[in-house]
Amino acid sequence: MLPVSWILLALPVSALAAVDKAYGVSPSLLEKYTPSSKSTWTCLDGSKEIAWSAVNDDFCDCLDGSDEPGTGACPNTSFYCTNEGHIGAFIPSSRVNDGLCESECCDGSDERPGVCKSTCKEVGEAYRAKRDAERKLRKTGSKIRASYIAFAVKEKKRLEDVVITSEKEVAAQQREVNRLKDLVERTESLSMAALEHRKESPLYRALLKHHQVLKSLQKEHEKHLEREKELGDILSNLRTGYNPNYQDMAVLEAVRGWEFLAGLPHINDVHKDDQPTEEELGSDEVEEEEEEEEDILTVEELEEELPALLESDYESLLIEHDKHVGTPSDESLLFNVGSYVPDALLPQFEAVRDGLLTWLRTFGIIKGGSDGEPADTSRAKQALSSAENALRSAEREKSNAEQDLSRLFDPKWFGRDGEWKKLQGTCLEKSIGDYTYEVCLFGEAKQKPNSGGTSFSLGHFDRWNDAAGLELGSPEYYSKQYYARGTKCWNGPMRSVQLVWTCGTENAILSVQELEKCEYQFTGTTPALCLPLEDLEKKKDEL
Amino acid sequence: MRALSSLLLLAAAPLALAVKLEDFKTCDKAAFCRRGKAIAQRAGENPDWKSPYSVDPSSLAISSDQTSFTAAVKSSLYPEINFGLDVRVHKDGVVRVRMDEVNGKGKRYDEAASWALVAEPEISKDIRWTVGKKEVRATYGPKGNKVDVEIAFNPLVVTLSRNGRTEVALNSLGLMHMEHFRTKEEPQPTPEAVEGEESAQTVMEVPNPRSWFEGEEEDGYWEETWKSWTDSKPKGPQMLSMDISFPNHEHVYGIPQHATRLSLPTTSGEDSYYNEPYRLWNSDVFEYMADSTMSLYGSIPVMYAHSKESTVGIFNAIASDTFIDVAHPSAHSSYTHWISESGILDIFLLPGPKPADVFKQYTGLTGTQELPPHWSIAYHQCRWNYVSSDDVRTVQRRFDEENIPVDVFWLDIEYAEEHKYFIWDKKNFPDPVDMANDVSAVARKMVVIVDPHLKRVQSYPVYKEAQELDVLAKTKDGQSEYEGWCWSGSSAWVDFFNPASWEWWKGLFKTSQGSSDKCAWIESTTDVHIWNDMNEPAIFNGPEISMPRDNIHYGGWEHRDLHNLNGMLFSNQTSQAVRARTDPPMRPFVLTRSFFAGSQRFGAMWTGDNLGTWEHMAVGIKMVLSLNLAGFSFSGSDVGGFFGNPEPEMLVRWYHVGAFTPFFRAHAHIDTKRREPYLLDEPYKSIVRDILRLRYSMLPIWYTAFHESSVNGMPVVRPHFVVFPEDEAGFAIDDQYFVGSSGLLVKPVTEKGATEAQVYLADDQVYYDYFTSHAYRGAAKGRNVTVPAPLDRVPLLVRGGAVLPTRERPRRSSPLMRRDPFTLTVALDTAGAARGTLYLDDGESYGHAAGALVWREFTAARRGRATHVASADLAAAAAAHGQAPTANAGAGADVGVGTGAVVYDPQNAFADEVRAVRVEKLVVLGLERRPGTVTLGGAELEWEFVPGVASGAGKEGAAARLVVKNPVASIVGDWEIVIQ
Repeated sequence: MLPVSWILLALPVSALAAVDKAYGVSPSLLEKYTPSSKSTWTCLDGSKEIAWSAVNDDFCDCLDGSDEPGTGACPNTSFYCTNEGHIGAFIPSSRVNDGLCESECCDGSDERPGVCKSTCKEVGEAYRAKRDAERKLRKTGSKIRASYIAFAVKEKKRLEDVVITSEKEVAAQQREVNRLKDLVERTESLSMAALEHRKESPLYRALLKHHQVLKSLQKEHEKHLEREKELGDILSNLRTGYNPNYQDMAVLEAVRGWEFLAGLPHINDVHKDDQPTEEELGSDEVEEEEEEEEDILTVEELEEELPALLESDYESLLIEHDKHVGTPSDESLLFNVGSYVPDALLPQFEAVRDGLLTWLRTFGIIKGGSDGEPADTSRAKQALSSAENALRSAEREKSNAEQDLSRLFDPKWFGRDGEWKKLQGTCLEKSIGDYTYEVCLFGEAKQKPNSGGTSFSLGHFDRWNDAAGLELGSPEYYSKQYYARGTKCWNGPMRSVQLVWTCGTENAILSVQELEKCEYQFTGTTPALCLPLEDLEKKKDEL
Repeated sequence: MRALSSLLLLAAAPLALAVKLEDFKTCDKAAFCRRGKAIAQRAGENPDWKSPYSVDPSSLAISSDQTSFTAAVKSSLYPEINFGLDVRVHKDGVVRVRMDEVNGKGKRYDEAASWALVAEPEISKDIRWTVGKKEVRATYGPKGNKVDVEIAFNPLVVTLSRNGRTEVALNSLGLMHMEHFRTKEEPQPTPEAVEGEESAQTVMEVPNPRSWFEGEEEDGYWEETWKSWTDSKPKGPQMLSMDISFPNHEHVYGIPQHATRLSLPTTSGEDSYYNEPYRLWNSDVFEYMADSTMSLYGSIPVMYAHSKESTVGIFNAIASDTFIDVAHPSAHSSYTHWISESGILDIFLLPGPKPADVFKQYTGLTGTQELPPHWSIAYHQCRWNYVSSDDVRTVQRRFDEENIPVDVFWLDIEYAEEHKYFIWDKKNFPDPVDMANDVSAVARKMVVIVDPHLKRVQSYPVYKEAQELDVLAKTKDGQSEYEGWCWSGSSAWVDFFNPASWEWWKGLFKTSQGSSDKCAWIESTTDVHIWNDMNEPAIFNGPEISMPRDNIHYGGWEHRDLHNLNGMLFSNQTSQAVRARTDPPMRPFVLTRSFFAGSQRFGAMWTGDNLGTWEHMAVGIKMVLSLNLAGFSFSGSDVGGFFGNPEPEMLVRWYHVGAFTPFFRAHAHIDTKRREPYLLDEPYKSIVRDILRLRYSMLPIWYTAFHESSVNGMPVVRPHFVVFPEDEAGFAIDDQYFVGSSGLLVKPVTEKGATEAQVYLADDQVYYDYFTSHAYRGAAKGRNVTVPAPLDRVPLLVRGGAVLPTRERPRRSSPLMRRDPFTLTVALDTAGAARGTLYLDDGESYGHAAGALVWREFTAARRGRATHVASADLAAAAAAHGQAPTANAGAGADVGVGTGAVVYDPQNAFADEVRAVRVEKLVVLGLERRPGTVTLGGAELEWEFVPGVASGAGKEGAAARLVVKNPVASIVGDWEIVIQ
């Protein structure tokens, strides 16, 4: 837009009335701009009949503004410039006769004659050059995009294969688990009676109680650790993020307190010379350390011992305990249980028992048969649990593959053609000022300080552009990606990213701006958004 | 822009914020105020109280031309100390009373008036002083408005009365006290220096003859510690106390800036509304309260007293910390007590008698509102911060895509690298000149912030130059550079009291290097104007977030003496600098946060960091009205509230408030969500678009009101008592007001969920709804009417008798409307008459001072059965009466155009430029019947008539409406349309 000098043409009103009646009319409406036989004209909404001379007389007569297509006298209407030598365009009526030559109207028809010269030749050429460049870019981009789609198709095949293989694996593992479950159940039912008796032992009961309390304590402890970590994160963010210029003593105290507690050096201090040296800090820390009591485990030891302790198999312990204190039962229950079985059932029992023992020996769960090793149900359980693990992992593999498959051509994920699948896990970076911004597509976005230090999560992939009125799966839909629920700002929301895509031959982040506190806007290019030209043009035709 | 801290401000949380009261002093935390209050306390408890001050009649000396007199004043407390009194009457009847200590041990600050006054006032030549035994007096003024000034000798009391009725009196309650300079008495080494009762008794053995007045103790005479700061007070006590009474006035207004009602609530006396005096000490108050006497960013020590009978005022030219108690001893009287930390007594009595007279008298002293560049009364879009030049371009593009008008895009502090003003942060603003040019391509402007704190690093050339020039503020030793903390971290402050800073400061804004080897802002353009913030000055680690009082300024004055002037000197120099960028000079736009009496000559102000609450929206209107009375018409509040995220309803209502405020800017804190109008959902977006278009269509009305204000000091927005000075029911109304002399009466909605509003109509007149032409009827004794106020409509009435010139074509920015045709709406009064004016000029140069302007008067009058609507040249008429059609004394004189002579040529260049601008539509409301003919020069015009209520019929309902199409070919010429 070129500002033009404010030379007002001293046109009398009558001269304005001489504006062509069809001036500014869109080609599709041209035929409606003809006078009636009585030299009148009816507003397009039919609301009013006016003199034909009142059309384009620079005075708004019609409620719908249709009588002033060429003067801008009616607000909220459109003006059509023919732009001979180029393509026609509409501009809002507010830009007609405002003294500025609109770039959209290269023929200069939006202003009074003589104000703007026609630039349609140049504009047309530039437009075509730009369009050609864009087409070229799109063409190249769409080829890459096609390769992404091909990748997705292959990926589909691969995933389907994975599903099939994992299905087989699941079935096999399921059979194993069933068999082992059966075995364990039998074993358990056999030993149950004796076990029940021993479980009456006060020692065993106390042990269970200890276990319960320890477990609760551990849970509680973990909760506190987590809270402490969160608080530490908040304080660390406060420490690095607060504005020292604000001079708010409460914040300064919090920061200093945290630095002291966490053994960090002062930052952002008003008086630089007050800053303590590293040695001073170090010595502080030493003083801080509490004297260790004997018999008290270190943190590391505790971390190691506690889970192990909690995983103890108390039933096995019970049995071992029996052995240790020399209870009369020196044989495993499994072998003695026959004495309790009614005679009539004995043959069947022995058959089952032998089968079981053979199986257990084969797997090395119990040793030998006659040497009286305890045929622990716990061992059977362990076998079952590892079989179950294998089953779960097979199931997981299957469901992952199924999920991947379902997302592959889901417009809410990798697109109807799966064109975005290729980019999953691709990480793009842009270094701006003191930070490098990174986004791993469909994963996590991060802000990493260039000088080292903790990086902040700017969020995880959340959704595409779901603004109201946008068609799911349309190019506009894919023009924005949202990453949400990143690290919370100490004085603001959780960090988030809006990633604005345009078609380009490279996958790249072009710019990063923090438009609102902790809400980032990335712009980037990707071939995934380069629709083939034919598709675009088809879309235009449909409109 | 912002206050101290954004700490703990949760963007999404509802605003439950509060000011940190402990950061600011109350009267009992300031020794001088305690001492002043104690005098009032003792006086109240002593029925025999008599002021110790008296005039020595033998010393009375009347000047040879009779215009003024001087006299010696003595205090019975300190007979050895001499005070000098000087009283004079100005040409316009204003009385100036000055008193200072003579030949004392020190010198009180006496320069506040010289900064505040626009020029040395002319002394009246017609005054004759009559010396009596007990008093000296002068009587002047026309019959029926005889003003009598009396200075009683013992005790010294100054009284201004009219027709025998006391209008204002100084020291009538005997609270006047000027603490003289004294020598610090070092504590005597007493031989029995034992603590306890004994020594206390020793003191009591020597009775203090002055304790009845000054009290027993030397309360904080020589040093004062508050929080972690110690004020060294090397000059000792120099408090000034004065009671100013208005024994016949119920309402007092003025002394902005406080977040309170227009008619000042009481602060002392029984059942006072507040229990703390109003304070004037320019302060950066973080999250200020919406109802408080706390000082805010600026101070204008002018007060008006109003009653049905008269309006008078006082201007107390003092720039030190000042506390003011207000009380109403009886239902119809007002009493005020002013306690200042330092400075001479320099009080101007404004005799009135009408509101228009006191405004003329006050602005005669301190200057009228500078006529702003036209674009600056349009809509401003601001945010802390638009983060990059591309961000600015995107915001502009979005406005244009949505067809929402806007004139100015603003940049807050983040544009500057490390907050080193003038230095662009090139990471985000790599192309500042291109950015500014992209904005001005659509005839828009930019405003960029420049604060007074300079980052103390040698790599910052502006700081380095200031240091080399030695123009930085000094610590109490008068030698060392003062260092404080602000946005830029460790910073220094330019001392604008130092004349050596002025030319240098001007040079900083030049957009070309020229031959100077000093800094210039070559990475800027002349379409970039300036925002001055933090000029109280705000200093994060200073006492009360400002400078230590014992800091030393140019001339050896302590900061305490001139603190309240500091902000004004900054915007004064900046506006001169911006004006001087071009040759010929163009009108500058400078927004300031801190101000003093006279700041209206240098640009606009806003009410600082308000909160996004309904209470703040409501009090913002009252604050703007108060500022308008105090001469600073070009004022406004941040639309939407600086802090917080207003819900859409609140934001829409706030846009209505903004559209009817002289300075109209949306602004938001960095922690808030973006809220530019195009981001709103429907229907809010369209409503705000329409509000902005309404403001733009009414710019001719606003500009005409600004012109009137620049000529005669009338407020641009006027509360009820100004328009109806005798309607007592309207004296306290501060939520509805008139726009200039246009007849537009607006009552913005400031309540959630409202659907209608009660509007008070003060007179027996017809009022038309601006949007529907519905006629409402007022009554001679006042009447409330209910006006619909759905969210998309602000209650807006046109008083019968108005002619409104508007421009109805929406444009992207206001300069693009310059050749759009006008619509004239004639709102007939009950007698079938109307009058309105229109002032136009090029909106940006000083050509108006040389007569390049158009000033029209539109009238409607009934003659027989016909109504005549006519246009006449008001400028020519004014020139014929020897009056200048425009204010050309202020800036015009500064820049060497318009030397005060009456210059006006109807064929001036500007008139020629707009000759082709026509009147496209004439609307006449309230005609009695369908016209037979509507003619101009005998030729029939094209028109339509919708029957309805006639202006004089006394009925309510849709008014009769005549619309004449394309009646007049030129806004410039004289014409007369006859509606027969």
